[in-house]
Amino acid sequence: MSKPLVSLGLALLLGLGVLPLLVLGAQVGLDDLALLGEARVLSLLGRTFALGVGAALIATVLGVPFGFFVARTNVPGVGILRPLGAVPLFLPSLLVAVAWAPLCDLRGGLAATLILGFTTFPLVALFATRAFERIDAARAEAAQLVGGWRASLRMELPLIMPAALAGAALAFAFAVNDYATPDYVSSVGVKFNVYADEVFSSWSQLNDPGRAVAKALPLIAMTLLTLLPALRLRRRGALATQDGTFRRPAPYDLGAWRWLALGFCLVPISIGALIPLARMTFEAAQGSALLEAGTLSVQTMGANLSESFGLAIERARGDLLNSVVFAVSAALIVVPLGLILGHAIERAPRRAGRALEVASLLPIAMPAVLFGIGSILVWSRPATADLYASGAMAVLLYAGRFLPFGVLLLSGAVAAVDVRQEEAAALAGARPAKRLGRIVAPNVLGSMAGAFVLVFVFAMRELDSSILVPAANKTAMLRLFNGVHFDRDEYVAALSLLIVFAILLPGLLWNLFSRRRLAILP
Amino acid sequence: MLSSVRALLAPRTALAAAGLAALAACGPEPDVVIYCALDQVHAEPLIERFEEETGLTVQAEYDVEANKTVGLVARLRAERAAPRCDVFWNNEIANTVALGVDGLLQPYASPAAADIPDQFKSDADLWTGFAARARVFIVNTELLDPTEVDSMDDVLAAQFAGMAGMARPLTGTTLTHMTALYSVLGEAEARAYVERAKALNDAGELALTSGNATLMKQVAVGELAFGWTDTDDYNVALDKGEPVAAVYPDQDRGGPDGQPIEGLGTMVIPNTVALMKDAPHPDAAKRLIDFILSEEVERELAFSRSAQIPVRASVERPEHVLSAADFKVMDVDFEEVGRALPKRHEELKELFLD
Repeated sequence: MSKPLVSLGLALLLGLGVLPLLVLGAQVGLDDLALLGEARVLSLLGRTFALGVGAALIATVLGVPFGFFVARTNVPGVGILRPLGAVPLFLPSLLVAVAWAPLCDLRGGLAATLILGFTTFPLVALFATRAFERIDAARAEAAQLVGGWRASLRMELPLIMPAALAGAALAFAFAVNDYATPDYVSSVGVKFNVYADEVFSSWSQLNDPGRAVAKALPLIAMTLLTLLPALRLRRRGALATQDGTFRRPAPYDLGAWRWLALGFCLVPISIGALIPLARMTFEAAQGSALLEAGTLSVQTMGANLSESFGLAIERARGDLLNSVVFAVSAALIVVPLGLILGHAIERAPRRAGRALEVASLLPIAMPAVLFGIGSILVWSRPATADLYASGAMAVLLYAGRFLPFGVLLLSGAVAAVDVRQEEAAALAGARPAKRLGRIVAPNVLGSMAGAFVLVFVFAMRELDSSILVPAANKTAMLRLFNGVHFDRDEYVAALSLLIVFAILLPGLLWNLFSRRRLAILP
Repeated sequence: MLSSVRALLAPRTALAAAGLAALAACGPEPDVVIYCALDQVHAEPLIERFEEETGLTVQAEYDVEANKTVGLVARLRAERAAPRCDVFWNNEIANTVALGVDGLLQPYASPAAADIPDQFKSDADLWTGFAARARVFIVNTELLDPTEVDSMDDVLAAQFAGMAGMARPLTGTTLTHMTALYSVLGEAEARAYVERAKALNDAGELALTSGNATLMKQVAVGELAFGWTDTDDYNVALDKGEPVAAVYPDQDRGGPDGQPIEGLGTMVIPNTVALMKDAPHPDAAKRLIDFILSEEVERELAFSRSAQIPVRASVERPEHVLSAADFKVMDVDFEEVGRALPKRHEELKELFLD
């Protein structure tokens, strides 16, 4: 490890990601903590926990078979199913809820659980797919010979469950931090309140910051308590079946059942992405109005689409460009930083590595609104006023918030790199920085691209912390949510589609032009 | 491939990122910074006109509807150590008053506000109200005859169970409205009103939406027959050709026995504009405030899709926008509402967030 590089990485992790939480935490008094024992607060926490468990369960029920089908069988269209399976995660769940509301009467807690389950299913699917791919052919064949399908299942399930549970834990963390979706889908009928409502609501009257921060602590704790075991599970899942003689198993031939498997895979993709996107396209083409007027045709829809997209591009061009520049810049900062810190996590003494891993989780464990306020308190000072007012602040905000994705993804990737290669390079006289750049980085290039895409995606769709920080105000997501209120539906739908396209673009380009697969997981 | 990896790791990558960020940020130092909670689509053209007329550059930052002013108010409080905002244009009043109570505003008696009625001005010149929204019932005329609802109690009435709704009163104008009810009706009566609303929601008989715009959309598509919303939201539905009507509730009316009933009046919530304490550009800020408080801006907002109600009777407006003189306005002490806001917010949160 290069001490100067790791020191720089630690300083940036502290400044960008951890300091906002520390500054806020310093304002909490003991009296504030007493509020957390209130029956109302506990009831909200219980309901939120149930929502998270429900969403994680749905994500697991969908994601594990999905992972099995795309990794281990001859399901038709596997090449397109894999990337499509990640798309629901990239759509803001509120947009999915808004798209489904006119199509389905389901409301309340069940609707919230389903939407969050379907939009987070890619997390489980990604982990499960990777785990299924790593089961050695020798083991799979042996199990098959000894006891057929049942023996295979008995052998494989324990091996993939740690990875699947890690994905489920992430799905849980995403679900419990979402307040907009439960709020929106319970607009009719009995209100379904969740704890994130309490956190958001506490910030609306911020004359007592300590109290507001204290209110956020249970959610931070719930998220951390989920993510930490998820990390352990991920580590076990990632390494359980690899050794030097690894051979990828041949795909199972499902025969005619492969079409049923295809249908199964298409269900979550359709519900979580394709139908909402189709609905947005229909809105952008003013389909409802055309249907009502009896003038629905491909030509009229095409003309309307062209008009809606023209308007969206004309109005939001600058904001879209800002979003892309901020997101690309943040990703460019996170990727090398993630490699440095991820490498340190894996190669440092065990305790230090684990402590660094926990610290790197903090920015994403904080509710976005809390992270935004904390960043303001850190950077809105006379000495840093120019920086605070500049676009660089938006980049720093996103880099700090999404640094955990880069660090954790690349630490997992580094774990899979044989340490003997680095040792050999060290014996040959290569300095730590050189070993990192010439030995480690080429081995994890796919994961570096994956980290870039992941940070880009989440920075592009970030709303809550962007609202708070001035420099992040002129972004496409803010323009979109302003438009939801007063602008016409077709404009909002066209803008949503433009944003989705921009979000998906880097991943699409990589898949089109690179021979390496984008590795979101090691 | 190695070269591309080295490029990713090289210090120049970080420099390139910083360069990109700087590129996005570059631009002249603004003459004045405004935080604006009025929807961007309405405020932006006005700010641009101010820039054209004065030659000053304005850095305008907007809130989003989903955030219900919370973002800007929270930011103003968090930036207290190094203020960068000169002018706060709020689309409601209670949070502005609360900022004044917290010492974040400084007095400015704009000459442009001379003809604005005193009820819309701070006693200490900390803020000035203009271009208001009324809290009305939006009614789906295909589901309900608008003449059947005329009182705030109708939303809780048994005959409309399952047909009515309101935004959950924890943010935005609904919070201000409910806080004002405590001031106007008194503690017991207002508490009974909000408790009844909560009980009805628990029974599935009253919808609590995520905001006024959501409520408007649900009435427009017929999921609900009527509910509380703001006139700007109502006007959006009207503009889209939805089958809706607005009812200004609690006007003086005749009772069933022919005896007149004195109504409480319809709640009106003005936009407010204020000069921030320690504003970095006070002179330009005052010019901007004068512009915002001009008759011309009130007129523009009345003719915009948000159909804001001019607080000056003299301001020209379209036919569908009433003047504050055209209906009975609820008599509200906004200073008291602003001071009580944190306390009421906490109480309402305990009631509605369980």
